[in-house]
Amino acid sequence: MRKTNINWLKKKREGLYCVPGNFFIDPVFPVEKALITHAHTDHARPNNKSIFSSKETIELMHLRYGESYCSDFQIARFDEKIKINDVTVQIYPAGHILGSIQFLINYNGYRLLISGDYKRTKDKTCLSYEPVKCDTFITEATFGLPIFNHPNDQDEVKKLIKSIKAKVNKTHLVGVYALGKCQRLITLLRDLGYDETIYLHGALTKISDFYSKNNIKLGNISNISECSRSEYANKLVLCPPSSLNDKWSQKFKNVVKGYASGWMRIRQRVKQKNIELPLILSDHADWGEILKTVNDVNPNEVLVTHGREEALVHYLTKKNFKSSALNLIGFEDENE
Amino acid sequence: MNDFAELLNDLILSPSRKKKIDLLKNFFCKSNIKNKGWAFCILTNRMDRKFVSVKELKELIIENSDEDLFRFSYDYVGDLAETISLLWESNNEKNTKINLHEFMEIFSNFDHKNKLKTKLKYFLDRSSENQRYTIIKILTGGLRVGVSNGLIKEALKLSGVREKSEIEEFWHGFKLPFTDLFEWLDGKELPKYINRKKLFNSFMLANNYNSNEFKSYKTDDYIAEFKWDGIRAQIIFSEDGKIFSRNGEDITNSFCDINTFIKGYFVVDGEIVVKKNNKILSFNHLQKRIGRKNPSKKLIEDYPIHFIAYDILFYTSVDCRALSLIERKKYLNRFIDICKFNNISTSSLIKFSSWDQLQNIKETSLNNHIEGVIIKKKTSLYKKGRVVNGWYKWKRNPFSVDFIIMYAQRGHGKRSSFYSDFTFGCWIDEQFTKLVPVGKAYSGYTNDELKSLDRWVRNNTVERFGPVRSLKPGLVVEVSFDNINYSSRHKSGVALRFPRFSRIRWDKPISQVCSLKYIKDLIN
Repeated sequence: MRKTNINWLKKKREGLYCVPGNFFIDPVFPVEKALITHAHTDHARPNNKSIFSSKETIELMHLRYGESYCSDFQIARFDEKIKINDVTVQIYPAGHILGSIQFLINYNGYRLLISGDYKRTKDKTCLSYEPVKCDTFITEATFGLPIFNHPNDQDEVKKLIKSIKAKVNKTHLVGVYALGKCQRLITLLRDLGYDETIYLHGALTKISDFYSKNNIKLGNISNISECSRSEYANKLVLCPPSSLNDKWSQKFKNVVKGYASGWMRIRQRVKQKNIELPLILSDHADWGEILKTVNDVNPNEVLVTHGREEALVHYLTKKNFKSSALNLIGFEDENE
Repeated sequence: MNDFAELLNDLILSPSRKKKIDLLKNFFCKSNIKNKGWAFCILTNRMDRKFVSVKELKELIIENSDEDLFRFSYDYVGDLAETISLLWESNNEKNTKINLHEFMEIFSNFDHKNKLKTKLKYFLDRSSENQRYTIIKILTGGLRVGVSNGLIKEALKLSGVREKSEIEEFWHGFKLPFTDLFEWLDGKELPKYINRKKLFNSFMLANNYNSNEFKSYKTDDYIAEFKWDGIRAQIIFSEDGKIFSRNGEDITNSFCDINTFIKGYFVVDGEIVVKKNNKILSFNHLQKRIGRKNPSKKLIEDYPIHFIAYDILFYTSVDCRALSLIERKKYLNRFIDICKFNNISTSSLIKFSSWDQLQNIKETSLNNHIEGVIIKKKTSLYKKGRVVNGWYKWKRNPFSVDFIIMYAQRGHGKRSSFYSDFTFGCWIDEQFTKLVPVGKAYSGYTNDELKSLDRWVRNNTVERFGPVRSLKPGLVVEVSFDNINYSSRHKSGVALRFPRFSRIRWDKPISQVCSLKYIKDLIN
């Protein structure tokens, strides 16, 4: 592995550390000061002393971890440059989920852009990704293989609506990640004219209500516990992926199981999870979007983190970008 | 083409048997007869050849994409057809509207080997991802969509006027393009070329022996025979004799040293083995003969075939399948008396008076090439498949040895994301410093164990060679195997028969694993 150009960025046990700023970015273990890109649990962990992130991310962390998860937090705004010790930090939207941001860290005129998780597809539940010119770009590579070419999101959601209409008396049970995917799927359904009540597993309601409060229109949503068993037929129920095959899901007798995720691209993955209705819907950039983004931000150097680093590093090197894998630990391989 | 691609995709994603049958029935109802015929051919894997080799496909995708990106992707996906279908850079040509049968006819009649890739490229460029997947699966053979022949028979029964037993009887008789099969299913006459006497008959199979169940059974009601480690075969002795393998494949040419020519019509069930100087040899020897379409004179001399007959289905015009086993054995002996071929013999019966005694015989029999014993009810009729109160196999206890995991590779298909294929080894000598690989295993663990193994592999990788990970010696596994023999093909000099995990010894130190000498001593 080649050394990175910037000697002021270090890999530590806790995660990625900015030396002149004296802070960590998305640390996996508690630290003094953490910059958090977004509120997914593998990026935003509890018990850091001080947190710097978007308003929505901080509120989502409150919601998840309770009021006492952190003593000091600082809300980042898009129009501000914040000085933290010897660096200045600016934030830009990342297009991943509500509140997801990128950090542009400037140290002595050298610009480092940390994208966190991002996507380029339009998503009504969050601000769109904004490319920023930089010297070093840290990109994710969750779908960093050329086999990942996410199809049009509306076409995928149409499959779900078609199935609900065609399979009368069935309950459609769709696995979605609680934060982001759930609400994006709902807005897509609403855009396509599905206006029935959408039922949610208890684990999805708190965050969905938070989205509603932030003026993201989800239409009629209701906790499935408020629906009696005799009424399950023809309903659409969303639940966390882990609940698709657990005890909770056994109460639905006549069921079509779906799963909304970028991993649904691969048939054998679909089969492994016993999914009948795969919906290829991802909140991460696919191969083409990653390459487009690298071109847009036009860095001298690309550092690749969590996911399939090898292929992306190989390809970028071939295209004359200086590129290497960061090999950070602690980020979930298969979740999104 | 599109209908068939959709059918395959739906079959893959349908969890239930009933649903699969419905999908097939639906497809057979609505498609035209030519498409039905080809779909049948593809689903039952009756294609006479592979149209495209894996090598040609890999060349094609590398021309279209990038060699390393293909390698990374294939390693990740674990299925060639799926990798190519996802990786293919389509140049936005309009999708083809070609019919399944038109497509198949093009490739069946295609004899410009050097233009094959160009032709294939033409279709891949004009297909959706799902169609590309289907095209590649068809042309390389082996669909693996979870559709058994039994399932297809059920679907055909529902869409036609024929009973399942009739379908069963003539199943193996129909030929490409199978349009006459569908006409026959609708009530038309059987095609003239089908001669019942040339057809393969479904095998009777053995259930697993269950000692609790048998405790109360009288030994007098059963016979027992040795289960030889060979290959199951059905031989039709007639003026146009044939040898069929377990799945009905015609293997007459491979075993041409068995004379099948005889006046009359006899169908005999038994085991093919290699026998030399009056001694039955190991399965390794037989392997030299399997799959060789035209064995040389030398090969035949070195590995002479012997057929151990244990049942008879037809004795001239007598359908023995409806007779009891004891009656059938009489007919079988009569047949052996008539044919007098010196490389055919009957399987001898084991004398035993209690189940314990039989177990003792099974475990202590000195011959290494016995897999166990088969117990058969004397009054049982010859029926297709595994029948209650029919045949039971009682296998020898397997060998069991602790080994050290050395390499791991990602699995394919359903296990494509997991490191599931393991190479294991033992110490090369009594110095206990260097390891030698002894075998490969990819079964025997539970799904949860597989997840733990996968995690262990990822945390203990020393080096990567393409898809293979070399691992830090540290994990001991107990491996079971049915047999062991010398082999010049392996570095260790031994070959294990059907090795599989029996236990993962998370606790056991690698220093307690044996050396190669101990393994070799296991060979008789």
